Amino acid sequence: MLTDFLLLMKQELLLVAIIFILVFIKLGSKERSNESLLNAINILLLINLIAGIFNSQTGTLFGDMFNTNQLFIFEKNILNFGVLIISLQSYDWLKKHKHLIEFYLLLLSALLGMFLMLSSNNLLMFYLALELSTIPIAALCNFDLEKRKSSEAAFKMIISSAFSSGLLLLGISFFYGTTGTLNFAEIPATLNGNALQIFSFVLLIAGFGFKISAVPFHLWTADVYEGSPISVTSFLSVISKGAVVFVLVSVLYKVFEPLSEYWYTILFLLSLLTMIIGNLFALRQQNMKRFLAFSSIAQVGFILIGISGQSLEGTASVVFFILIYILSNLAAFGVINLVSSKCDKESIGDYKGFYKSNPQLTWVLTIALFSLAGIPPTAGFFGKFFLLMAGAAKNNYLLITVAALNMVIALYYYLRVIKAMFMDANENPIEKIKIPFQPKLAMIICVAGIIILGIYSNCYQYIFSLIK
Amino acid sequence: MGVTAILFWILSSLALLSAIMIVVSKNPVHSVLWLILVFFAISGHYLLLNAQFLAIVNIIVYAGAIMVLFLYVLMLIDLKKIVDPQRSLWIKLVGVATGCCLLLVLIAALSKADQTTALTQTIGGNIGLVENLGKILFSEYLVPFEISSILFLSAMVGAVVIGKK
Amino acid sequence: MPSLENIANFIHNWLYTTFNATVALLLEFTIVAILVIGLFSVLGLVLIFMERKVSAYMQVRLGPNRVGPKGIFQTVADTLKLMVKEGMTPNNADKFLFNLAPFIVMTAAMLILAPLAFAKNFQIWDINIGVLFVTAISSVSVIGILMAGWASNNKYSLLGAMRSGAQIVSYELSAGLSIITIVVLSESLKISTIIESQANGWWIFKGHIPAIIAFVIFIIAVTAETNRAPFDLAEAESELTAGFHTEYSGMKFALFFLAEYVNIFIVCVIGATLFLGGWMPLHFGTNTTFNEMMDYIPSSLWLFGKTFFLIFVIMWFRWTFPRLRIDQLLNLEWKYLLPISMINLLLATAMAILGWHF
Repeated sequence: MLTDFLLLMKQELLLVAIIFILVFIKLGSKERSNESLLNAINILLLINLIAGIFNSQTGTLFGDMFNTNQLFIFEKNILNFGVLIISLQSYDWLKKHKHLIEFYLLLLSALLGMFLMLSSNNLLMFYLALELSTIPIAALCNFDLEKRKSSEAAFKMIISSAFSSGLLLLGISFFYGTTGTLNFAEIPATLNGNALQIFSFVLLIAGFGFKISAVPFHLWTADVYEGSPISVTSFLSVISKGAVVFVLVSVLYKVFEPLSEYWYTILFLLSLLTMIIGNLFALRQQNMKRFLAFSSIAQVGFILIGISGQSLEGTASVVFFILIYILSNLAAFGVINLVSSKCDKESIGDYKGFYKSNPQLTWVLTIALFSLAGIPPTAGFFGKFFLLMAGAAKNNYLLITVAALNMVIALYYYLRVIKAMFMDANENPIEKIKIPFQPKLAMIICVAGIIILGIYSNCYQYIFSLIK
Repeated sequence: MGVTAILFWILSSLALLSAIMIVVSKNPVHSVLWLILVFFAISGHYLLLNAQFLAIVNIIVYAGAIMVLFLYVLMLIDLKKIVDPQRSLWIKLVGVATGCCLLLVLIAALSKADQTTALTQTIGGNIGLVENLGKILFSEYLVPFEISSILFLSAMVGAVVIGKK
Repeated sequence: MPSLENIANFIHNWLYTTFNATVALLLEFTIVAILVIGLFSVLGLVLIFMERKVSAYMQVRLGPNRVGPKGIFQTVADTLKLMVKEGMTPNNADKFLFNLAPFIVMTAAMLILAPLAFAKNFQIWDINIGVLFVTAISSVSVIGILMAGWASNNKYSLLGAMRSGAQIVSYELSAGLSIITIVVLSESLKISTIIESQANGWWIFKGHIPAIIAFVIFIIAVTAETNRAPFDLAEAESELTAGFHTEYSGMKFALFFLAEYVNIFIVCVIGATLFLGGWMPLHFGTNTTFNEMMDYIPSSLWLFGKTFFLIFVIMWFRWTFPRLRIDQLLNLEWKYLLPISMINLLLATAMAILGWHF
């Protein structure tokens, strides 16, 4: 019984253990240097990642409150991996930060919230886990303590997330009113598509839309991404978004299966809007972080196409895409993080002539941007390809055509950055940056992942086998 | 109409009126005081549902603690210096129109909704009494309960970091 | 023997036999309201006189001694003076809130009387979460104080209200936790059940060390919650004139003043109920003669005796301890009282589970 419990909740319990270790380190009076702490935490995160991969078990706990299966475990491992990469990349920034332990405490609490959100089998638990995965991030947004913009980002984040969880909670309440149950297993049988159920479902989708910043609900994204510290921005754009997408897939496919004709329409409209508007706004951004923010909004549009496929391929392609998206986006953010922490430059204009001074970093950023744009040798191409394939199963060619057009637009603005780095001259270019070991390791892993996943296609089959 | 029904209508109209006043009030301090009145009305609703514990906790936590902190912050701000930003007429009109649409949809949806059987069981039941609530909280809803404690811990850590700078 | 219980029952029966149920209920409401208001005014007179005499005794002087024998009508004269005085509203004040505030403070104080048991089976409303009800309503009175301070549009008033708010919100925690200690021991939130559970001994005796610690913390916390010296920072006259009621005069001031004393009475009744057995007489084990002698004293006298003893203790504090600074005050709560009362609660819980109390 106890071993079952320990194995089933292994990933969550490990995180809780790390959180408690951090609390005790903080409470202890002994002064430790930031470098040694960072190394220790990175090792802990590595152990967490490795321990999560092996010897996992599936089942339910606490009277159906918590359930886990192979797919969830894989998704959690992806998230663990992403957090480890972010932690390695933030090394340079955190080295000088005085609230290092609090940073990790909040980061890992948010991650724990995401894990529980994935595993939740009850709307109430889902809501609490969702809050746990957003509120610490709002505090994290303010971690550039001297910058006004950072405070502004935190404020916008907390207000918009509170508003969206308000909508979500209203939806959940109406849902409870019409179905009389909060349990995921019992909900599908009670769904009959009456007006109130659809209304509350729309509210739920709106709540989800805020978290993944799909277009009518995207207004907070750019400001928050721009103001927050880059490590937090990458966490927000990759891990947080990825976790909510995972949950969205499993909730839509399993719990709201009877309402699929309604949510297909909703997803169709959302993905059209998200792709088009995300791309159009990304075209005219000058700040690197805002640029990536809008490009990540556009990526969400593609993800929604995959979800709308409503098939096993849909799930597999979404999970696969998120894995690739984590790798490519984190590679890009890694470079930006280094540049920002060393020279405090963030606009695209500053990157002119980047190749002359920092060829290695330029190549990393180029590969990452190619992957985000979906250019063949990189993994990003296959990610988008599988998404569109899954979406095409519904024979909605309008959506696929628009998506293809959008890929062309996206290619233009990604290439604009690459052109600036390789071709444009600059009077005061970014000086040569010395890359510390940890960020270098993170970038190597990311680039290797992008290339390997592009060539070696077994990963998709592996994910597909997990679902069956 | 029994006593419960009369009380229900009084409390509901009080809650709605105060909620409207929160939005309409020019002075934020007045808004907060109206909000406190809303919480009292909602506590009254809880009492009608025989959820005495919830009613009292609602008052302790919201009216007694959170709203006091709200008042605290608002009173420290010099409200005269803050000018209400002038919004254009169009934005106001669009806001009113969308609000009305939402209300319309909500009313239409609610009027079509089926009465669920679970709805009536709460009245006269004693699930809201402390003992039952405690039992259910520490058995069926144990995990969400524990999650909320982590949530509070992390929120506190965040607040302290931001506050300390 | 005429006891409060018998009188109440007699009136209740008489009303229900004479009138129909609705009218009788309304009449009972009226009677209760009149009694509460009556109790308030009597309490105001008695407590203020007591405060003056106790202070005088502590400072080796006579206190009021001109109006009536030994000065017992001094408070009545003062009340008359306050009633005929003009109640002024400052020009730039938020008039509505300014005039509303004293009534909110007063109403909150009146509401708390509802679940209190003044004698055996003599209680307005025996709600099954009585103790929590008391905590909830007492936290509301701070809103009235903040309103008064802010609406006066005066910096002294605002500072006084702020201090008072911080103080009440923080000390409520340890007061609440020490109340919960007794709730854990007596396994109920209902006031009548808590008193019943002390039939074979008061909790302060039965509950060993946790109950004594809880009692001490409770007394400290309620002294702070009622803004009494040494925690009277909210109206520290040497710094803030008169704190949140600086701008008030006449009857509105009298209401604040009265509410303060009534609140002291109320917290002492709660303290007496939770720790000292409420209306339960003092019993010593199996010593039947002594026990029966004690039983002969009416239950209401027991309660009032205990309450006035506690009030005396709180008045005693005023002339014994110097006033704290605001940071000392908050440190005392958050760094000492709160952790102690949490650990104490844990101890009491363990004791209740293991059955170590009598």
